[in-house]
Amino acid sequence: MSAAPLPLLEVDLEVERRAVTVQAGFRLGAGQRLAIFGTSGAGKTTILESIAGLTRLSRGNVRIGGRLVAGKLAGETALAPRDRQVALVRQPTTLFPHLTVEQNVAYGVRQSPARGHIADLLERLGLTVLARERGAALSGGQRQRVALGRALASPFRVLLLDEPLSAVDVAAREALRLLTIETSIERGAAGILVTHDLAEAQAFGGQLGIIDDGRLLQIGGAHQVVVSPSSRRVAELVGYGGFIPVPLTAGRWHAIHPDRVLLGARPERGLVLTGPVVSTRPYGARYECVVSDRSGEQFTIHLDQAPGAGEVCTLTALDPPVVEA
Amino acid sequence: MRSTAPAGSMAATGVVPSFPIASRLAAKGSTILALLGALVIWLALLGPFAVLIKNLSFHSIRAALGPPGALEPLWVSLGASAIALGAMVLFGTPLAYLLARGRLPLARIVELGIILPLMLPPLVIGLLLIFLIGPEGTLGNLLADIHLTGVNTFFALIVAEFYEAAPFYVLGAHAAFASVDPRIEQDATLLGDRPLQAFWRITLPLAAPGLATGLATAWARAMGAFGAVIIVAYYPRGLPNQIFIAFQEFGLSGALPFALLLVVAALPLPVLAYLWSARTRARVAGTETT
Repeated sequence: MSAAPLPLLEVDLEVERRAVTVQAGFRLGAGQRLAIFGTSGAGKTTILESIAGLTRLSRGNVRIGGRLVAGKLAGETALAPRDRQVALVRQPTTLFPHLTVEQNVAYGVRQSPARGHIADLLERLGLTVLARERGAALSGGQRQRVALGRALASPFRVLLLDEPLSAVDVAAREALRLLTIETSIERGAAGILVTHDLAEAQAFGGQLGIIDDGRLLQIGGAHQVVVSPSSRRVAELVGYGGFIPVPLTAGRWHAIHPDRVLLGARPERGLVLTGPVVSTRPYGARYECVVSDRSGEQFTIHLDQAPGAGEVCTLTALDPPVVEA
Repeated sequence: MRSTAPAGSMAATGVVPSFPIASRLAAKGSTILALLGALVIWLALLGPFAVLIKNLSFHSIRAALGPPGALEPLWVSLGASAIALGAMVLFGTPLAYLLARGRLPLARIVELGIILPLMLPPLVIGLLLIFLIGPEGTLGNLLADIHLTGVNTFFALIVAEFYEAAPFYVLGAHAAFASVDPRIEQDATLLGDRPLQAFWRITLPLAAPGLATGLATAWARAMGAFGAVIIVAYYPRGLPNQIFIAFQEFGLSGALPFALLLVVAALPLPVLAYLWSARTRARVAGTETT
C-alpha cells in the first residue's frame, strides 16, 4: 500500500493567448530536467510564467511538491509567491536596477550563513569585479549572469530558465551551464529551460520537449527526439532538411537529416538517393548542399567536400525516420 | 587582416563628401531655430521672477513684513499645506499604486474623479465645497457633530488646498508607479518578499524620483492655492489671501513683499525634489548607455 513518491513538479495547464492557446502537461521529479525547444512565439515563455504561478490559467493547474501553485481547485488556495521556491530567469532579464550586482544576486538569500556563498558564486559567474556596479550599467551578457546568479543563490526547488545564456559569450557558456546543472542537482530541484537553440536545449542534459504553436508535440530523450521525430512538423523543427515521399503511401515521408548522410550507395545502412546538386555553400568547416532527388524533391545535406553544381551524386541517408503529417 | 582596414576607412570617408550641403545647412538652421525657441520660452517663463526681484526694495520688504504678526499668514500656509500634503501621501499613494497596477474596479471612472478637480475652475470648487462641508452641507452636518465647520476655519483651508493640489500628486504618483515594471515586483516576491516588502525594497525606491516630483508640484499648488481658498477660507489668512488683500489695500508695492515670501517659502522643496530626482534617475537609468 505504500504510495509512489509524488513528483516534485506536476504541470497540466492551458493558457489563452491572443495568438495561440498554450497547452502543456508533464511531470518532473527531484533532480530531473526538461529543455523545451521551439520557435519564438510558440508559447515557451508563457509556460514558464504559468508554472511560476504568474499567469491566469484558463484550465488545469500546477503543483509543486503536491501544493497548488497555479489554477483553481475547490477548497485549495494557491501558495503565495514567496512560498513557492521557484527561481525564474526571464528573457529579457529583469534585474533590480537600483541595486548593485552583489545585492541583486543576494536578494533572495535570507539566512546569513548562505550569504558567505555569494562571494563564491560571484566568482564562478565571473562577476567579482562588477560586484559594486548597478544593474543598469551592465552589458546584455553580464545582465544574464546576474539574473542567473540571483536565481541560483535563492533557495529554489523549481528552476525556470528562459534563454538564460543567449547573450553570454559562447566561450563562457559551458561553465555557466555546468554551474546551473550542478546547483540544480545539489538542491534536488526540477529544472526547466526554454530556448530556440536546439544545441542549447540538448546541452541542458535532460529530457527534450518540442513546442510548436502552443502545443508540446513530443517529449523524450535529447537524442531520441531528434533521431525519431514523432511527426513531420517535429522533424522540421529539429533540423531535418528534406522529406522524400514513401512510395505508394500518401502523407508519409522519409525524413532526411543534413548531418546523417554518407556519400556513396550503402543500402544496408539506409536509404540511397541519387540526384544533381542544385547549390553549394560553406557551412562552418563543411559545406551545405541542396540536392534534388529523382522525384524532384529537394533536400539539404552537410558534406565534408564541395561537389560542383550540377554534379550528380549518390548518397545514403542513415536510417531515415518515416514521419507522418 | 591589416590590408582590409584602410579599404574600410576609405569607404567610410567616401560617404561624407557625398552628404548634400543643402541638408547640412537645413540641419544648422533648425538648430538655431530650436535654440531661439528655447530662449523665448525661458525668458517668458522666468521674466516674472526678474521683475519681482527688480521691483522690490529692502525698505518695502521691511515695511510690509516688519510689523508683529505680519508673518502669521506664512505660518498658516505652511501648516495647512503640510497637513494637506500628509493627507495626500497617506490616501493618494495607495490609490495611485492600485490605479497604476490596474487593480481598481472602474479604474477609468476613478481616474476621471481625480482629473475633474483639475478641470474645474478653483473658484467653482470653492463654491461647491461650501455646499459639501459648509454648515448647511451634507457632510457639514456630520462635521458639526465633531465641532468642525468647513467655512473660514483652518480645517476649511486644508480641505480647499487638498482639492486644488491632490490631483497633481496622485497623477504624478500614478505615472511613477506605472514606470516600474510589474514583472520585477513579481521577481521580488518569488525571491521571498511579502508584497509589502517588495513594495518597500523595489517599487518605492524605483518610483521615488517620480513621487518626489509629484509631491513637489502638489506642495507648490497647495502653498499657492487661492481660488477655492478665498471662497471657503478667507480666514485664517494664508499667504495667497494676504497677497490679494495687500494688493487691494496698498497696491502692487504692498503685495510684492508677500509674493516674494510665498515664492521663497514654496519654491525650495520643489527645486530640491527636482534636483534630487534628476540625480537619482541618472544614477539608476542614465548609466545604461555606457
